[in-house]
Amino acid sequence: MREAGLTIEDLDGIAYSMGPGLGPCLRVGGVVARTLALKHNKPLIPVNHAIGHIELGCLLTRAKDPLVLLISGGHTMVVAFAGGMWRVLGETLDLTLGQLLDQVGRYAGFASPCGMRIEEAARRSRHYLELPYTMKGNDVSFSGILTSAKRLIDTGKKFDDVCFSVQETAFAVTAEVTERALAFTAKKELMAVGGVAANRRLAEMLTTMAKRHSASVRIVPIRFSGDCGAQIAWTGLLSLRAGITIPVEDSIIRQSWRLDSVHASWRDGAG
Amino acid sequence: MKLIYRGAEADLLLGAWAGEKAIHKVRKPLPYRLEALDRAIRSHRTLHEANMIHSARSAGVRTPYLYFVNPTSALIVMEYIEGERMKTVLELAPDDIVISLCRRFGEDVAAMHTAGIMHGDITTSNVIVRDSELVFIDFGLSLHSAKLEDHAVDLRLIKETLNGAHSRIASVAFGALLDGYKVKVGEARLDATKRKLSEIEGRGRYAKVE
Repeated sequence: MREAGLTIEDLDGIAYSMGPGLGPCLRVGGVVARTLALKHNKPLIPVNHAIGHIELGCLLTRAKDPLVLLISGGHTMVVAFAGGMWRVLGETLDLTLGQLLDQVGRYAGFASPCGMRIEEAARRSRHYLELPYTMKGNDVSFSGILTSAKRLIDTGKKFDDVCFSVQETAFAVTAEVTERALAFTAKKELMAVGGVAANRRLAEMLTTMAKRHSASVRIVPIRFSGDCGAQIAWTGLLSLRAGITIPVEDSIIRQSWRLDSVHASWRDGAG
Repeated sequence: MKLIYRGAEADLLLGAWAGEKAIHKVRKPLPYRLEALDRAIRSHRTLHEANMIHSARSAGVRTPYLYFVNPTSALIVMEYIEGERMKTVLELAPDDIVISLCRRFGEDVAAMHTAGIMHGDITTSNVIVRDSELVFIDFGLSLHSAKLEDHAVDLRLIKETLNGAHSRIASVAFGALLDGYKVKVGEARLDATKRKLSEIEGRGRYAKVE
């Protein structure tokens, strides 16, 4: 606010992440938001964290009606807008991509987040070790990759080779379900958002894939791709314009609030 | 030959085989996938799909006739099915037609499951409506499985597809499908499958925890 030359009195409302996420973290944000809203008599606006990623991504990449690949520590989902809601066309059945990379890294003794370190290690190898490639319907599963990768590390395989193989397998299966959703929905924009969207090998795979379907690829810039306040603020603004607020006494947090249960009434075609 | 559909995994070309109209399904290399991984996946899926199409037909479900299979070049040549994709039909059809088609859909899925076949990729794009019959295509992800879990995963994909692409009629359509499914598998198995389905949904990330 100092940078923008504003005071709290200039704000139209206080938006906060109501979920999904870890309870203690959400609760801290909730307490601060409620306090500010009450103290300054501003409306309180509940925002779904995952939708926050998507709406901020749309603003920054100017995507109008994209197929969205949401890839972070908390999500691995393929999502598109239809009939008033963001709908899930495929998702992970167990670990997220972010968790997979972090857990492989931590197993090898690094501190998370490990995405960057794994990407660097993978770039030093071209030696592929076989890992399970698991798709169920349009959903993916990464737990088999993690178990096998740990076993490879235990048997003394080079860490660079393990990272290369994990990336090649996990990203290819992710790109494949995304491609299936792209073919199915015939969307002309593909947007990748979330912390893992920063990975250059994944971006390269998505770009090659989207070209086959003449879809443009929008990768949300690193600074705003991971968790940030702007995603909540922007989606809060969109929600407020559509008249979405919540009384303080109802403003609980929801750890398991799925994005496909939110009526996105601020979007065109939401009715 | 004419390209009639560019899928995520394969291209479908309309050509001929021994004078008959035929579909040439080619699993093209996916350039974003590592070559060794890509080659293994394509040849495995080609051979597997041919076997599964045959098994499904034996279970009494309509599938295209197979004319020729080559795993090395990842090619299957099969019968051309005259008709519309179920996805298109559902978008335009009045509710009573939607209900009867989905009921039929449920019966056919149940026939496969009863024979121990999981289709693995039942979206409304992979069913062709020919007259009043449903013809199942794309067995690339199918499995021999009698597991409740796998059958419930099939139903879950159908539910996801209906919610995603046919949201207006999704609940009616899925209800009719379960009715048809029950006819073939019986009430007890349907209930068990439905329970498994909610269990799977509950396993999803951030699923409702009530």
